[in-house]
Amino acid sequence: MGTITNNSIGRLSGLWTVFTKEVVDNLRDRRTLITMTVSVIIAPLFIIGIQWFSESKVKEETDPVTSPPFELPVIGAEHAPNLMNWLRQSNIRIVDAPDSPESSIKRGERRVVMIIKKNYVERFEKGKSAPVLLMHDSSIQGLEQLGMQKVRRSLAGYSNQVAAMRLQVRGINPELVRPITVNTSDISTPESRNGQILGILPYLIIMFIMAGGMYLAIDTTAGEREKGSLESLLTLPIDRKYLLLAKLLAAAFFSALTFLFVLIGLTVSMKYAPVDSIELVIDPARIIYLFLTCLPFVFVASGLLILVASFTKSYKEAQSYLGFIMMLPSMPLIFLAFLSPEASASNMWVPSLSQALIIIETLKGEPIANHLVALSMISSLAVAATLSFIAMKFYQREGILG
Amino acid sequence: MILAKHLSKSFSNIKAVSDVSFTAEDGKITGLLGPNGAGKSTTLRMLYTVFKPDAGTATVDGYDIQKQAMQVKPNIGVLTHGAGIYERLSARENVQYFGKLHGLKGKALDSRIDELADLLEMEDFIERRAKGFSQGQRTKVALARALVHSPKNVLLDEPTNGLDIMATRGLRKVILRLKEAGHCVVFSSHIMQEVAALCDDIVIIAAGQIAAQGTPDTLLEITEANTLEDAFVKSIGSEEGLI
Repeated sequence: MGTITNNSIGRLSGLWTVFTKEVVDNLRDRRTLITMTVSVIIAPLFIIGIQWFSESKVKEETDPVTSPPFELPVIGAEHAPNLMNWLRQSNIRIVDAPDSPESSIKRGERRVVMIIKKNYVERFEKGKSAPVLLMHDSSIQGLEQLGMQKVRRSLAGYSNQVAAMRLQVRGINPELVRPITVNTSDISTPESRNGQILGILPYLIIMFIMAGGMYLAIDTTAGEREKGSLESLLTLPIDRKYLLLAKLLAAAFFSALTFLFVLIGLTVSMKYAPVDSIELVIDPARIIYLFLTCLPFVFVASGLLILVASFTKSYKEAQSYLGFIMMLPSMPLIFLAFLSPEASASNMWVPSLSQALIIIETLKGEPIANHLVALSMISSLAVAATLSFIAMKFYQREGILG
Repeated sequence: MILAKHLSKSFSNIKAVSDVSFTAEDGKITGLLGPNGAGKSTTLRMLYTVFKPDAGTATVDGYDIQKQAMQVKPNIGVLTHGAGIYERLSARENVQYFGKLHGLKGKALDSRIDELADLLEMEDFIERRAKGFSQGQRTKVALARALVHSPKNVLLDEPTNGLDIMATRGLRKVILRLKEAGHCVVFSSHIMQEVAALCDDIVIIAAGQIAAQGTPDTLLEITEANTLEDAFVKSIGSEEGLI
């Protein structure tokens, strides 16, 4: 029997060696750098871009001084010349009606068409309610609704004015028919008004967390097997469990880094963005709070990615599964978008949903109760541990060598 | 020294290896010769601990490959079949990685890598990133990383696959040097001439079983053949897999 070379390696130093190798290896991968750069630049650009666009569009259409008049086709304009004058004063231009009003709305050429029938004159003169028909398509959402709102407001104003005149002629105080005057006082904080942005932000952040660790997760497991270096690695005196754990931590490291970059990118851009309507206060303290409270999701993400990548046979196969895996954490977010639930013990244990709620509420300036945040962190860590455990079991199989 | 005792391994219903026993001694080169799919790789995979045998076992320097895998691993150096290296790391970093995982570090590791670079004639590309390396260069890096911890036992699975003539000659030189240094070398090949040129002991495997084994001379005797090639064909019973 020959002399025995006994080079022992501690578990921790083995873990550290694999971890640092994967980090260095991945840093030299251009795809990783692209993902990270994109996360810093694109996410804020996207959010601020949308906001800037819609804001400038609304301004353009509603500003009483600078906005161009809204074109309103009217059928039977000759029956109500006084109303037409009123509309013109509210920056509405009366134009000739198209031949087929219905199809011109459907095609999107016109947003609203006003139809005044002959009996308008008759009923108006008798002091009865005179009918005006507004034809529009309510399935068209968003800014397209602005024209309709404008016409309605103007008509309501006209109606009120005529009503007041009629009452005064009869010697009645118009206030008599307005028993209640509604005054509103908006107490929402500037932060909580940014609903639109807050709707997209968690989704983007969670997708970037997933994307940040994705390449590493595939490359170090399915990729390593495909390239034929995994088998050599398995002949080394390091337990497979620690090998996989190191790879998982490396994936988590890049996910976390991407997450941090997105947060920093947002902070910087919020500060300098030329958008008035967003007043999210993202200060360093909130960034650190968000980063730490959502960190457990980073492990859920890398656990999920490593798990899939550890039972697939090739880079390509892994990628085709990962497309689906990327969708998993976005499903609870769809639930969030439709129902906008309040944070409670019944939903804060769900990974991705709970982190989304933490992000939203923190940026609104209405932080979630600490025990609910703790619930989110603990349950996400438990899910991450379970996923990693299953991945380790997969890694013990001989089948991983294909 | 490696002692294989009645190794058997099946995958689902296919018997890949059955009842394989042989001894690979220190200071000798043992060749596993056989056609493609004969079970050479599966046998080696059991020896280097990534597969568990269904029956039988083996020892490496007295350590059982199943019960003492963690003691076996530091004592073997493995060049796996079609071994890949990390393309974004330099040749040196590739070898360093494995060295560190064997518990080597610092100056000792660096000077060991320099030694291997000299032995394997890797000086020209040792600092270069591995992307774009030729097959010969890749094999050298993979071999260097298998030898970085100076293992007593060296297992090479089809090491000459994809190598050109010059690279094959270089590899042969390295294997002979390992033998001179007293290592136990086991290598598998489906190329008869290669085995004949190098090996002290030959184990011919066909269809998962040992067809014949012994020194080149004993093989000629047993099979009553004039050349090793005839001996090989006679022992596996067909011309399958000869090059």
